[in-house]
Amino acid sequence: MSASASEIIDPAKVHLWDRGHHGHDVIGTRTFGFWLYMLSDAMIYAALFASYGVLSHVMNMAGGPMPGDVIRPGYAFGETLALFTSVLAYGYAMAALRQGRAGGVAGGLLGAMIFGAVFLGLVGKDIGDLFAQGITPERSGYLSIFFTLVIYHALHIVVGLLWMLVMLVQLVREGFTGNVVYRLVNLKLFWHFQAVVWVFVFVFVYLQGVIA
Amino acid sequence: MTHGADNPLEHPEVQLANGRSYLLVYLFSCALLGAATWLVTRQAMTPIGLFLLTTALAGVVVVAQGVFLLHMEFSETQRWHTVSLVLFIPLFILTIGLSAWMFHGLYRRTMLMPEMPAPAAAAPAAAGMPSMPAMPGMQR
Amino acid sequence: MLVNLQGPWSPLLGRLAVSQIPYENPILVGTFVLVVALGMAILGAVTYYGKWGYLWREWLTTVDHKKIGIMYILVGLVMLLRGFVDAAMIRSQQAMAVGPDSAGYLGALHGYLTPFHFGQIYTAHGVIMILFAATPILVGIMNIIVPLQVGARDMAYPYLNAVGLWLTTAGAALVMTALFIGDFAHAGWFGNLPLNELPYSPGVGVDYWIWAFQLSSVGTTLGGINLIATIVKMRAPGMTWMRLPMFTWASLSANIISLTSFPVLTVSLALLSLDRYLGTHFYTAGMGGNLMLYNDLFWIWGHPEVYFVILPAFGMLSEIIPVFSEKTLFGYTGMVLASFGIAGVSWGVWLHHFFTMGSAPDVNAFYSVSTMLVGIPTGVKVFNWLFTMYRGRLRFELPMIWACAALFFLLVGGMTGMMNAFTTNDYMVHNSVFVVAHFHLMLLLIVYAIFGAVNFWFPKVFGFKLNERWGKWFFWLFTAGTATVFIPMFTLGFMGMTRRLDYIPYAQWQPLLDAEMAGIVLYSLSAVYLVAQLYVSLRDRALNRVGADAWGTSRSLEWATPSPVPFYNFAYIPHVNARDEWAWRKENGIAQLRHDRYEGIHMPKNTGVPLVLGALSLVLAFALVWRMWWLAALCLAGIVILVIMRSFAKDTDYIVSPEEVKRVEDALWAGTHARGTEAEGGRGRGAVGGGLSPAHSPSAPK
Repeated sequence: MSASASEIIDPAKVHLWDRGHHGHDVIGTRTFGFWLYMLSDAMIYAALFASYGVLSHVMNMAGGPMPGDVIRPGYAFGETLALFTSVLAYGYAMAALRQGRAGGVAGGLLGAMIFGAVFLGLVGKDIGDLFAQGITPERSGYLSIFFTLVIYHALHIVVGLLWMLVMLVQLVREGFTGNVVYRLVNLKLFWHFQAVVWVFVFVFVYLQGVIA
Repeated sequence: MTHGADNPLEHPEVQLANGRSYLLVYLFSCALLGAATWLVTRQAMTPIGLFLLTTALAGVVVVAQGVFLLHMEFSETQRWHTVSLVLFIPLFILTIGLSAWMFHGLYRRTMLMPEMPAPAAAAPAAAGMPSMPAMPGMQR
Repeated sequence: MLVNLQGPWSPLLGRLAVSQIPYENPILVGTFVLVVALGMAILGAVTYYGKWGYLWREWLTTVDHKKIGIMYILVGLVMLLRGFVDAAMIRSQQAMAVGPDSAGYLGALHGYLTPFHFGQIYTAHGVIMILFAATPILVGIMNIIVPLQVGARDMAYPYLNAVGLWLTTAGAALVMTALFIGDFAHAGWFGNLPLNELPYSPGVGVDYWIWAFQLSSVGTTLGGINLIATIVKMRAPGMTWMRLPMFTWASLSANIISLTSFPVLTVSLALLSLDRYLGTHFYTAGMGGNLMLYNDLFWIWGHPEVYFVILPAFGMLSEIIPVFSEKTLFGYTGMVLASFGIAGVSWGVWLHHFFTMGSAPDVNAFYSVSTMLVGIPTGVKVFNWLFTMYRGRLRFELPMIWACAALFFLLVGGMTGMMNAFTTNDYMVHNSVFVVAHFHLMLLLIVYAIFGAVNFWFPKVFGFKLNERWGKWFFWLFTAGTATVFIPMFTLGFMGMTRRLDYIPYAQWQPLLDAEMAGIVLYSLSAVYLVAQLYVSLRDRALNRVGADAWGTSRSLEWATPSPVPFYNFAYIPHVNARDEWAWRKENGIAQLRHDRYEGIHMPKNTGVPLVLGALSLVLAFALVWRMWWLAALCLAGIVILVIMRSFAKDTDYIVSPEEVKRVEDALWAGTHARGTEAEGGRGRGAVGGGLSPAHSPSAPK
């Protein structure tokens, strides 16, 4: 680890400039940056989960509905199935992308969008039912963080669906250009990450909410 | 924006895709979470047992998804993705764990606990804790 | 869902009304007139000299990391001035409003500021100094220097870089708007809950504060992603991890902190805004809310943020001290580990901001110990700097004296910090001005490092040095001001003075408060010398021109390209062979920077989209503050549509032809050659192709 070598270097032999520089790996750089963004988003979830932990004490129910009153684990498992199926469909889109089959990519994206929409519909109905019973975020600190966590995840799904729509258009217009391909890879990171986050939401909020 | 003018589909991150492993991890996650849901709805175990079991199942599913869905591995292309995730994990644990610990202590010391009479009645005397009043809203 | 407001609201203008403009307050009216006059003068000058096209092409739409960095620093300097004026008002109020007999003016019972106005001023002072002065200046310097040090042509995402700049600028503009339309938060820069809840702060001040924070938080997160990706993915061939310059290491650790901690700030403030807008109960005192949760989340961000600003400052010291000691940095590996040690420990100390919350003793003990642990890596750094200087050939030029003073203040601030880390001691001095003096010295150490870095890298960016004589005057007056303000402040802290007093009941504290006031006068005087230094340097720039190696003993890669740096940074990407590559090349007589032929260079094109995104974000935040829902929806839709449209753009980059590169290089070297001979008088520094170290015989440049 010589900071500065002491021996005299022959200028003719040393490699000083990178002539014929070919640039860097653009796709790899972009997916890495997007991955960092996803991790910072995961930090937002971590803060929300920390808040959930703090605000799920019996005092935070403020005499209102308890977790057992607002959570239906079986129904939430249905949401889980919808989301995982959507993620699987997107996975097939990526497998088709690897083989360069535009039709397969479009089909996978459409499948992912349909099941994503089903997931959103299930979540929306769940929340709508609760609101109809007067169980709203304003009722207590616990319900505030419960709805915030669930709706924040659902917002990601909305953004993902919009993004898939844009990618379908770009796929048709431009084909497999570098830009389209790196965006499909980023969208895969985004979409598959939602599945991982949902595991935490499902287990820690829905399942463990009805244990106690 | 392709500098190397290579075919973008040849990029190693595109080549990572594998339909079969996606299907396997899909079936695996659905099965494990389905089992967890079944156990919880049946209340098949003690609460603490269910708590630990569901946590463990969530951990297994997340690891499986991380490896097979998100391709967390130490190959040339995915190395930095994996390293950054590994560096983040302690922060998730610190954020959630230390917060939970702090507020657990705070609730014990400052709040009335109707459902847990034992610590509220016995702990201050037994542990010799000074009964210090809460000081809300004071921070630096 | 939406909460019921106290007071009027209209669908078109939301809560905005003429009565919200503080025209009856002479201080604000005077400031407004001054700002408008200054703004008109600047706009008029730009129009008069016909510079709008230049401004638009070269600056407002640029994606060049150096220009973006300069604009970050300019935003930071403007906000530094604003924050300084706030500080002067706090100090003068505290000097005037002492004892029951003190007079009152302008509607105040004592002094000249009413409690509500005073609260807004100290809140604005804190927010501005941390978020809109220190952070942008540091981000700006990292923006300029890191790509040069790793041997890259630009940041990893030049377009995103511009988005980050304009979001931060939008945040700063929002804080300035709060001065003249509506009011600002009055509950301290970090916010006191539940005081910041709608029932207790029904005005728009807290909303301004929330959205200014959010804008700058998003901007800084994007910047963090960009810098990390640049360092990880854009290093020149041969730039292995253990050859990275120290400032780049420091920037990496700092940006890991910003990337991980700013999201938590976003959450802490988003939950507060849900409380204020939708009536949820996160931080309310009743209904199952928990107001201490706010402190928890805020300081999970807040403490790492402190290290986010201090680590780049440490990196700057690590660059300046070796150059002016004419030695390599002592203990490089230890420095790297110490940077990451500080970054790691910063994640386990946040409760020390609210030791008095009432946590269990084991919790307080844990945080007390982890806080003290910070002293170990910091101590490693201090000793490494000292050993770097030990038996070095020290030259006390401007950057070096700022760096040495920074070391001194690090010592004083760090020691008092260790005192606060003891919970028992903290219960005594909590919320006293002792703590205020402690963290001001820590932040001043950053300011000292920044001034050192500005003097150090200014010739790299602009091609000429800053004037030394006026600079030294500025330094000594600034330091005198620091001592005169903060020694009395420590004393008053021990005497029991709490922070944020708009009225001080004890007349016997008057002399010390007067001393602090004198310090502020010294600070103000020093600002005059700063302006003079800049003016004289600009006027005499022909005399102060430098070559690539401005200081003659520079070591890292950013000096291996002409000064000022051409827009493509390096005509050829350097191939790195050693740590301190430039010093290594000079020692081996291969510090030759001219090339006989050139290649085309791939560069990103300028775009106006980031500027429009920033403007839309500003209007969005303004609409949310005043609850003009239609405008907010419109801006949000505009942002989404613009982002999608931009993703369809194909014409985003271009190739600089070899002829163009040759033209730029020839012009630069012609200029440098002329300057080189002019500057030849002084110790042989600043010669063509980078002056060779005096210890070695120069090899003849081709």
